Amino acid sequence: MSIEARNISKTFGKLIVLDNVSLEVKTGELVALLGPSGSGKTTLLRIIAGLERPDPGAGEVLLEGEDVARRQAGKRGVGFVFQHYALFRHMNVFDNIAFGLSVKPRAARPSKAEIRERVHKLVQLVQLEPQIGRYPHQLSGGQRQRVALARALAVEPRVLLLDEPFGALDAKVRVELRQWLRRLHDELHVTSVLVTHDQDEALEVADRVVVMNHGKIEQVGSPDEVFNRPASEFVMDFLGQVNRFHGQVTQGRVKFADVQIETPEQFPREGASARIFVRPHDVEVTRARNGHPALQTTLLRVRSAGPAVRLTLKTSTGEELQAEISHEQFAQLKASPGDTLFAAPHGVRVFTDRTADQVVDEGAGI
Amino acid sequence: MAGTIAIRITSSGSAAVKSAAASEPAWLRRTLIGITLLFLGLFLILPVVAVFGEALQNGAKAYFASFTDPDFLSSIRLTLFTAAIVVPLNTLFGLAAAWAVARFEFKGKSLLVTLIDLPFAVSPVIAGLVFVLLFGLDGYFGPWLLKHGIHIVFAWPGIVLVTIFVSFPFVARVLIPLMQNQGQEEELAALSLGASGWQTFWRITLPNIKWALLYGVILCNARAMGEFGGVNVVSGQIPGLTNTMPLQVEEYWDDYKFVPAFTLASLLVGLALVTLALKEFLEWRTRVQIERSEKLAQDVVERIAA
Repeated sequence: MSIEARNISKTFGKLIVLDNVSLEVKTGELVALLGPSGSGKTTLLRIIAGLERPDPGAGEVLLEGEDVARRQAGKRGVGFVFQHYALFRHMNVFDNIAFGLSVKPRAARPSKAEIRERVHKLVQLVQLEPQIGRYPHQLSGGQRQRVALARALAVEPRVLLLDEPFGALDAKVRVELRQWLRRLHDELHVTSVLVTHDQDEALEVADRVVVMNHGKIEQVGSPDEVFNRPASEFVMDFLGQVNRFHGQVTQGRVKFADVQIETPEQFPREGASARIFVRPHDVEVTRARNGHPALQTTLLRVRSAGPAVRLTLKTSTGEELQAEISHEQFAQLKASPGDTLFAAPHGVRVFTDRTADQVVDEGAGI
Repeated sequence: MAGTIAIRITSSGSAAVKSAAASEPAWLRRTLIGITLLFLGLFLILPVVAVFGEALQNGAKAYFASFTDPDFLSSIRLTLFTAAIVVPLNTLFGLAAAWAVARFEFKGKSLLVTLIDLPFAVSPVIAGLVFVLLFGLDGYFGPWLLKHGIHIVFAWPGIVLVTIFVSFPFVARVLIPLMQNQGQEEELAALSLGASGWQTFWRITLPNIKWALLYGVILCNARAMGEFGGVNVVSGQIPGLTNTMPLQVEEYWDDYKFVPAFTLASLLVGLALVTLALKEFLEWRTRVQIERSEKLAQDVVERIAA
């Protein structure tokens, strides 16, 4: 079932939580709402679920093209998985999962035998057969979250909404569970929206990522698009590690310190200040200049634990620069702290005041 | 007498760790324990024993003979009747108040919480006087009530009103912290799964608070049955008609009828003992409930921190 949220605004007192947000999710898609805390992502999810309402007259939610403003949460065909699980503490795993079926009106309620069968299937799906008789306080966090998921799936929702589903789990369990969730989604193909503040989670699990900040959507795109072609400084900054410098536009090019940055685009406004972003893995580190424009730096620290070697470099202007190179490259470099190295940034993203102006102009023109 | 029943629902303190530095000399420990026991014996146990002793001074036959006195039985009936009206009403009120305070944000919420405590702060005699002032013959509504033949003061409705007043905080007071602690996520989950508001209340909310609710109810009941001061003002003390058990005890006492006085008193003491036993049990159950909800919450916090 497709989801469409149109021009949603929500304020709590004076605080603007959502500012005219529109979002579309296609049938069978898994979309991640990604943003820092306070960006409004959870509120948007709760409004879609019907657990919260947009400001009066400010926006509508359409499920499969139908306005559901007048429908209670339980009548929207939506399964909601809460951040803190919200399992019924006085019920065991079986009763928790069976709850949604057992509260159906008598005419629509499956028989006891059917409920039992359906619950057992779900328990198998979430791999909790041995725990079926346990109570929530006897389960681990990961197990609780799987119960919450099974409970939401029991009513065969047409849309699955997950609020920070793995936020409260250990890092290792989190990685396992999100891969499992992706496999589950590929099996069930139920339209899903996942709220998370963890960019790895969003990039790994989702078909599309919606990056939110301060109650607005910054960018919507595939994981590849938002990571490699961020539309704004915020997205660039929020997704992954990034080095950030201040430079200036000179003769249509951006300069940082004495280095002219290689960019595909031209910057017409002379003297405008520019923010330069480069990811650590896009910094090429060499012993000597190799023709690419490069910064002269001093090696401060080396951290070689991990899949790549992370170098902290200091530029001649005193700024720190992070670079990530492979263990192989590091071995060839034979560098140790104090050495002079040359850092050539590739794949640089530049945001100038000019581009900011342009965005504002376009916005005003619509 | 107002507000003397302390409500404590604190999660059990962490097991005290005894270090050498913290252990007092034996003589001090023994002296303190001795003083405590002496006080308890003098002011609590001795009176209870004395009540039963006095009631049974002329033997069991005289004890049970008191039960044939119509005034004796009438006071028991009136007390039970009052409690039967007051306790359910205050249970409903307590649930509604706790629900409002724990689930909604509204202006004047802290004022409401303070007002709920009012009967703890005000002497019940004042409450009685206020009802006389309102509904008595010379009261604001007195003449109108008289004209329509409605008797409130010096009749059972007055007793019920005063008793409602003095016993209404108990259920709300017990439920508010528990419901705030448990939060509303489970109810939202139930609603999102298609449960109606009614189903959510019966299947999620009520099971989560049942022990605390029972605890509040028996405290409320004990207060309702034991109330003396406020009821004394509005009852008019008509034997066989408007005397509750505590009032009838005084009546007997004033008439030098010591055996029935202490017999009736022994019933009230018995009620108190049963209440205490139930209270202990329910407190323990409530503590378990809170600990579980705290454990669930803490697990989540720990995992976020990790």
